[in-house]
Amino acid sequence: MKQKIYIIFIIIFLIFFLKACIKRDVPEEEKIKQNVVRSETNFTFPSEQKNVTLNGVDYLQSQASIGKFGGELIESTIGEGPKTFNPFTSKDATSSSMSGLMFDSLFTTSPKDGQIVPKLAKSYKTKDGKTYIVNLRHGIKWSDGKPITADDVVFTWNEIILAGLGNTSTRDAVMIDGKLPKVEKIDDYTVKFSIIKPFSPFLRLMASQIAPKHIFEPITKQGAKAFDMFYSTNTPPEKFVTSGAFRLKEYKAAQRVVFERNPNYYIINTENKQLPYLNKLVYLIVGDLNNEILKFEGHEIDVISLRGSNVAPYKLKEANSDYKIYNLGPDTGTMFLAINLNTRKNSDGEYYVNPEKQFWFRDKNFRTAIDYALDRKNMVQNIANGLAKPLFTAESLNSIFLNKNIKGHERNLLKSKELLQKSGFRLNSNKNLYDKFGERVEFDLYTNAGNTEREAIGVMVKQDLEDLGMRVNYKPIEFNTLVNKMTTTFDWDMIIMGLTGSPLEPHDGKNVWHSDGSLHLFNQRTEISKIDNRLPFEKKLDEIFDSAALKTNFSERKKLYDEYQKIIYDEKPIIYLYSPIRIVALRKKFKNIYPSQLSGITYNIEEIYEDNN
Amino acid sequence: MIKDILNGIFKDKFAVIALLVLCFIYFCLFFAEFIAPYSMNYTDRELSYVPPSPIFLIDENGKFSRPYTYNYKRTYDADLMQTVFKLDRSKKYYIKFLSRGEEYLYLGFIPMDRHLITVENSGRLYLLGGDINGRDVFSRLLFGGRISMTIGFLALFVLFPIGLLYGGISGYFGGVTDMIMMRFAEAVMSIPSFYLLIILAAILPSNMTSTQRLTLIVVILALIGWAGFARVVRGMVLSIKNQDFVKSAKMAGASDLRIIIKEVLPQTASYVIVAMTLSVPGYILSESGLSFLGLGIQQPDASWGNMLKEAQEYINILYRPWLLTPGFLIFIAVLSFNLIGDTIRDILDPKSRIR
Repeated sequence: MKQKIYIIFIIIFLIFFLKACIKRDVPEEEKIKQNVVRSETNFTFPSEQKNVTLNGVDYLQSQASIGKFGGELIESTIGEGPKTFNPFTSKDATSSSMSGLMFDSLFTTSPKDGQIVPKLAKSYKTKDGKTYIVNLRHGIKWSDGKPITADDVVFTWNEIILAGLGNTSTRDAVMIDGKLPKVEKIDDYTVKFSIIKPFSPFLRLMASQIAPKHIFEPITKQGAKAFDMFYSTNTPPEKFVTSGAFRLKEYKAAQRVVFERNPNYYIINTENKQLPYLNKLVYLIVGDLNNEILKFEGHEIDVISLRGSNVAPYKLKEANSDYKIYNLGPDTGTMFLAINLNTRKNSDGEYYVNPEKQFWFRDKNFRTAIDYALDRKNMVQNIANGLAKPLFTAESLNSIFLNKNIKGHERNLLKSKELLQKSGFRLNSNKNLYDKFGERVEFDLYTNAGNTEREAIGVMVKQDLEDLGMRVNYKPIEFNTLVNKMTTTFDWDMIIMGLTGSPLEPHDGKNVWHSDGSLHLFNQRTEISKIDNRLPFEKKLDEIFDSAALKTNFSERKKLYDEYQKIIYDEKPIIYLYSPIRIVALRKKFKNIYPSQLSGITYNIEEIYEDNN
Repeated sequence: MIKDILNGIFKDKFAVIALLVLCFIYFCLFFAEFIAPYSMNYTDRELSYVPPSPIFLIDENGKFSRPYTYNYKRTYDADLMQTVFKLDRSKKYYIKFLSRGEEYLYLGFIPMDRHLITVENSGRLYLLGGDINGRDVFSRLLFGGRISMTIGFLALFVLFPIGLLYGGISGYFGGVTDMIMMRFAEAVMSIPSFYLLIILAAILPSNMTSTQRLTLIVVILALIGWAGFARVVRGMVLSIKNQDFVKSAKMAGASDLRIIIKEVLPQTASYVIVAMTLSVPGYILSESGLSFLGLGIQQPDASWGNMLKEAQEYINILYRPWLLTPGFLIFIAVLSFNLIGDTIRDILDPKSRIR
């Protein structure tokens, strides 16, 4: 009896199972596209902020539309949160951006075209590119009521930045031929900067944030150790004397940072009311990306950056939701394949790169063949979910110095094979590639393990190159080991990596392109052999970087930097793959949003207001 | 004893099912090249994250038909910012059994080109969808399983001989030897294995293939793992060595090593068999864990762990659930091993035998 029941059960189960297997071929109904919102990529901006003098105070007047006061904006930061609120000691991005909120810089960059526009300073003048006269605003104050004057600027430069306190990166960058700039006070509201020869990146460096002298002076006298501890995250909020649109109200470690409005801010709207509109600006400290997404779904945060496959579900819901998705275009991140052109020997007299491989890697035809074999289209489509742009230049796609004449090319295996043949490479009957000395073309390709994106690119690159008959040993390895290979042991053949550049200042890429740079990946030299046997194109790049920094005229510099991009595109020591597109979702209730390719989306935080209707 | 175990297993329904499941899995893995429609690295870039191929048995006119499938066509919807796959209904691809397909070397040396199921050349049969690079998940599951399901046994071959001998010697001699050997074992046990692995991943020579690398890591794991096992063996040996048959062997003049290997250790067999079956799933899990963290098998090689890694983004779990199949298989395999291990323990446990 019992057995019969079992059998019946099994038969019923089987029938259902088979029923599920038998599928009928019915055409699926066309899904009607529900009103999908198109994300704009052409941005409009309000006219530029103007200097306005009212009752003897030099205000900066925002030209954006007039909004409502009140409300709060909640952002998030991934990781451990800020390490300090002192803009002069901060070394990480989170600390820098938060201290940047509290301490304004003299100048800032226009979100529209990246040119320098006034912020804390009123204007600047220069005749020869060697001396800069900076005029400060009359009547603007620190948050404790003391006026902001030339003394503060001179103090900040001479006693903090040039004295080498805190983070010395600005000091290192303004050093020209071993000489530091001179900063002098002319009168209470005028400061003179002088450098020994024209140096175009100086202007952006000069825009540095300014510290209140009456607060910082006692600390700088106590030395570097005391300065590093000053304005740390343990400082009670009421101790901060600031100049920015917001000041610290509360900091809870690993939870949140709350900023409140600075009522004495020097930017006003067209009705001459002091900004910012928002009462509070909150940063939630979240552990990872998934956590951030959950918080956005739960309306705990108002703005989120989305990447790759995360975009689609948000885009689908956008029409019926309370957020809007902004497409900010390609960002400064670049993904590339670097080839090791090193021909030096290590201290034991062994070559970093095998001599046979050196012969291939130094061959321009070989490198070009690789470039033409890469399938960027499918990398963008598969790995970045279509949210990226193929990249062929060393400058990122949103750079104001981008060489627009470099158009790039499609994948072209025939051309690759032709180039290889020209250099004497031969395919044998098994379609394996041999060089003209009869050596099998085989090399290692590294990337960092644990990064799904790069691992998948590596798989594609390996397949692409194997289509040419090369044998690629693809090895994702641990990140620190990889960095060690690139910077110390140099025993690698090809590496897939990513770097972020600056869209405004190509000179920042000097450490990669200058032959004595610390990140001169493709032909890295040790400390001892700074600029020995440079390749012809390396020499050319050195010259370009050295001379372009001394030019102050934009179009002259542009010409030089165009040339450097052309050289890299022609020589291909580093083959660029693609640049991801930045997508941001922001709640619709916030107004005065003017997204910018260069500055992002909440750069004009003082103009943003909350409108709940 | 083996007869006892087999009899016991066949009496327990769950154990029988588990055994069948494992046999089925190992059978499939052994014939992976033949069963899989594609090779491990077969790529169609147009099919990145393609959904599983639908198989139709009733055609569009409502009539029964030979099983067939359609190809997927990829388009990019710029407004929605996502890739859309649609069935291309213009051409049917009938599924062929035992037909010619991609050529391969079975077990690395027998050239063959027959596949269990396949479709015509221009058709694509991705039974469990595609991964990010457009490779067939079903085929990769079969190839990846070879590593995942054998790595555990490798560890056993290292761990058990060492553990048995070490525990045997320590227990048999007792006294100062025992004291020193056991303190050493404890020291080995207290090595934090996870951090050791992270360091190892950093210092192992990079010109190893990922299979060599994982093998080495598992061997090292086993070299740490024997200590706990040796302690249990030592405990058992302590009680066995005072029994009459050991004493008589001694009296007969047998050497110490002979007594340990021939007389004492066989008495621990029941425990050893149970411990072995129960530790295999542990190593399967640790392989998947290591590969998941990027310390084990790396792309483009497949293992269940590194395939599962692709599914870790929440978006993939929501929209591409077929990426979770390796996780499902790990679950099934580990569960089966545990069920069998439990049953064997029940069989060999003298207390439960009285009942």
